Amino acid sequence: GNIGMLICVSVVSFTSVSHSQITRLYSRFTSLDKGENGTLSREDFQRIPELAINPLGDRIINAFFPEGEDQVNFRGFMRTLAHFRPIEDNEKSKDQNGPEPLNSRSNKLHFAFRLYDLDKDDKISRDELLQVLRMMVGVNISDEQLGSIADRTIQEADQDGDSAISFAEFVKVLEKVDVEQKMSIRFLH
Amino acid sequence: DEEEEEEGKEEDGCSQQNRVSRGKNYQRENSNGKKAGEEGSRQRERGKKAPTKDQEETENKGKKTNKKETVEDSQQKTDRKNSTTSASSNSSDEESLSEEELAMLMEQVEQKKKLISTMRNKPWKMVKKLSVLREAQAFVEKFEGALGKGKGKKLYAYKMMMAKKWVKFKRDFDNFKTQCIPWEMKIKEVESHFGSSVASYFIFLRWMYGVNLVLFGLIFGLVIIPEVLMGMPYGSMPRKTVPRAEQATAMDFSVLWDFEGYIKYSALFYGYYNNQRTIGWLKYRLPMAYFMVGISIFGYSLMVVIRSMARNANESTADGDDNNFIFSWKMFTSWDYLIGNPETADNKFASITTSFKESIVDEQESNKDENIHLRRFLRVLANILIICCLCGSGYLIYFVVKRSQTFSKMQNVGWYERNEVEIVMSLLGMFCPPLFETIAALENYHPRIGLKWQLGRIFALFLGNLYTFLLALMDDVNEKLAEEDVVKNITHWTLLGHHNSSVGNDSTATPPPLDPADVPRGPCWETTVGIEFVRLTVSDILVTFITILVGDFIRACFVRFVNYCWCWDLEAGFPSYAEFDISGNVLGLVFNQGMIWMGSFYAPGLVGINVLRLLTSMYFQCWAVMTSNVPHERVFKASKSNNFYMGLLLLILFLSLLPVAYTIMSLPPSFDCGPFSGKKRMYDVIQETIELDFPLFVAKIFSYVANPGLIIPAILLMVLAIYYLTAVAEAYQRANAELKKKMQLQREEEKNKRNTKTSTNPMMEDLEDLLTPSTKSESHPKQAEDKKTECPPRTSPVGKQGKAAALESSPMARGREAAFTPLPPHVFMTQPPMLHVRVPYPGQLRPWGYPPGPVPRMGRGQPYY
Repeated sequence: GNIGMLICVSVVSFTSVSHSQITRLYSRFTSLDKGENGTLSREDFQRIPELAINPLGDRIINAFFPEGEDQVNFRGFMRTLAHFRPIEDNEKSKDQNGPEPLNSRSNKLHFAFRLYDLDKDDKISRDELLQVLRMMVGVNISDEQLGSIADRTIQEADQDGDSAISFAEFVKVLEKVDVEQKMSIRFLH
Repeated sequence: DEEEEEEGKEEDGCSQQNRVSRGKNYQRENSNGKKAGEEGSRQRERGKKAPTKDQEETENKGKKTNKKETVEDSQQKTDRKNSTTSASSNSSDEESLSEEELAMLMEQVEQKKKLISTMRNKPWKMVKKLSVLREAQAFVEKFEGALGKGKGKKLYAYKMMMAKKWVKFKRDFDNFKTQCIPWEMKIKEVESHFGSSVASYFIFLRWMYGVNLVLFGLIFGLVIIPEVLMGMPYGSMPRKTVPRAEQATAMDFSVLWDFEGYIKYSALFYGYYNNQRTIGWLKYRLPMAYFMVGISIFGYSLMVVIRSMARNANESTADGDDNNFIFSWKMFTSWDYLIGNPETADNKFASITTSFKESIVDEQESNKDENIHLRRFLRVLANILIICCLCGSGYLIYFVVKRSQTFSKMQNVGWYERNEVEIVMSLLGMFCPPLFETIAALENYHPRIGLKWQLGRIFALFLGNLYTFLLALMDDVNEKLAEEDVVKNITHWTLLGHHNSSVGNDSTATPPPLDPADVPRGPCWETTVGIEFVRLTVSDILVTFITILVGDFIRACFVRFVNYCWCWDLEAGFPSYAEFDISGNVLGLVFNQGMIWMGSFYAPGLVGINVLRLLTSMYFQCWAVMTSNVPHERVFKASKSNNFYMGLLLLILFLSLLPVAYTIMSLPPSFDCGPFSGKKRMYDVIQETIELDFPLFVAKIFSYVANPGLIIPAILLMVLAIYYLTAVAEAYQRANAELKKKMQLQREEEKNKRNTKTSTNPMMEDLEDLLTPSTKSESHPKQAEDKKTECPPRTSPVGKQGKAAALESSPMARGREAAFTPLPPHVFMTQPPMLHVRVPYPGQLRPWGYPPGPVPRMGRGQPYY
């Protein structure tokens, strides 16, 4: 599979990643691509250590795949990966209008939100929280305690009283958290 | 540098690869990409062409729209590159700036410059002006260099490179700094598995180690090493020689283990030092140095403890608010997306679990609804019980000590009678802490507060220990002092007799000196005290280590391996694994340090032993915790500061200062050993130095200063100063609390306002301020003018709507405008007709650069406040 430079170029524009970064990522892409057909499967993604280790890794991998497909090409790969790119200082100042780059704060948040929102109803319910919690702590904490954690989380974040967390509420919660730093992977540097 | 090279290489690799595979295609496309911004027609052409090219590729199904996007994007890319040159300042990027791009950039910079020069005329609020001005200046500064030809460009590139390098260096340096913190990784690992409370012990241990290193440096550098290098060698005088009677066994291990024999007569102990005023060719005043170091150990320790307490207090008040989203933050942000190493990930998992557990405990505590009267009653009851226990054990200690004093006068006492005090003390130490813990269960405190109570109670119990020890020591010292008087006379007579006998033989020759090993000598109580402290410390070390080995490790091994063939479940049932005993370990550390402080004056080598102890303890305990302990049932978060530990340490420091000060001030030093021998009191060494080494007036001043008439007012003054400072601190604290409250209120108010007036925005307020009825007509054109100057693309004719829309929505347009468009988009929503329908006002044609003065004020009409 050679997608070649054309895709590289187009991807550059989407993700505002520099030229050299793209080429590096492209070589990484091809090295991950064990089937050598220009696309990545889920198994290929499992080979990325950052994702294999991440308790939410499966969800992130799912985010790479468009609905109903189990292959992703370089463009899709880059599009998703771009969410993890750290925000440069000089970009912060000019994010005032126009479509935002994929690695902007709100896009990062939205990406994160979708990781938790499994049924895509734009709300994180208690059950969805519980699932994530179980992934993060395993069996070390009893179900009852996990339940109380989830309840407490919703209680903290919920503002409109629907006992679920909407995107707006999610953003509010993470208002003071440095998401830009937290959701970045340094391998783009 | 490496990184960059690597990037470059990889890029080369990739492009070569592409060149091989695609040949010309690549180049054409690249050039297209560069010039894409030139004209629309070309874009279309390429848009048509692209799919045909793409048919070759199997992956892209050749969607036309997709391709179009691509084109726009490639254009956008080049644009983006201009604005983010710092991110990618490789030579390849520099080259990719085409002429058009440069021209465009130049234009923008010019515009910015104009904007800066006309800033004063704008009818904006000052705050906004400032922010826009700053932005524009930054832009100009950034890209002016990029536009320059030749030298300017090179300088710019160089500057960018240096900036990048600097950032990288800073990052590396930060990494380096964290790597330099000793045992940081070990402690983090422990913290992730056992919670911050256990980690707080290790952090305390590390801090203690640091302090002890400094003390060690002081003592070794200023006392022991000078003595060893420049002092008289071993065997040159009685105090530096093993007495004849002991010489046969002086090298036996059993003797050395008791710190007798050669160790006793070494630089590790007080008695070895000579009272010569100066030693060596440096004329080093050793007795003076010895005294000053002894004092400065306490001075430094006090200072460092108090300073660290103050800093901790600062930290704990620094971030008090924002506790609203504890669980949510843990939930959504606890995972670190940068983790790529399985081991780190394991630790992270453990730490997330632990932190959740900690929060659960906190939460349960704060939500506990309970019978408050019952709880209060139980707490009072528990305290009464524990006070009874403490009083009982205190009396027991007192009683046993008294008895032992009578025993010591009797002959033929048995083993039990001789060791009664030690046995009782260790029994108390063994059984009281668990008893306290059981009683404390009644109180049902939050474990963090419970730990403090437990620490305080055991501390009180251990004080009894200290008390007995000091009493015994004082008895010892008094005995030795009495003995000394006798020996002094004997020595005097012996020496005299020696002289007489030699004089009798040959009156002209000087008497052959008596061998130093034969000279009768006093008991040297200082060395005895020092040996006592060293023994105590060493036995404490051994006991601690053996306890850990047996109580934790062997037990863990037993539970783990015997469990396969045992009647009941050992792991869940009776012995189970040990928990890490925080209170016991912290107190052990604190009391040990007290011993060091007390003993270091009489045994300078003690600090060295302690440094070794802390060092091994760090590794050993870390290992023991990780291998053989289980986390606490209720993992709790340590308080943000270790100030409670520090408080205990301060108390111990003060307590250990007392006996040392007492012995220095009121006991006469031994006549034949130590740096102060021959003086009436140890502090005489200062007076001596002042009289002999300083000019006369200093001695005079000193004698005045030492006058009680001056000292008492000075103490009064200090008390006043302390009072004043505490008052000030309190006032500040109150002001701080007030401010916090105010901020909270303000935030809430703001929130309410936002909820009621969602559409309000600063621009609207600006406009409202500006558009007072009388000046409305004047300010409107101004407004329009501003907009014109700022965003020319927006005034593009409606006929080209499609393209314009594409341009506007494409990030490229944003990239151009965003940097110099201070107006948020909603302005257009609030006043749509002004923008599109209004014909440019005549005023607009005025040159921008008109001088600041009365003219710009026209826009405002009236000065507003």
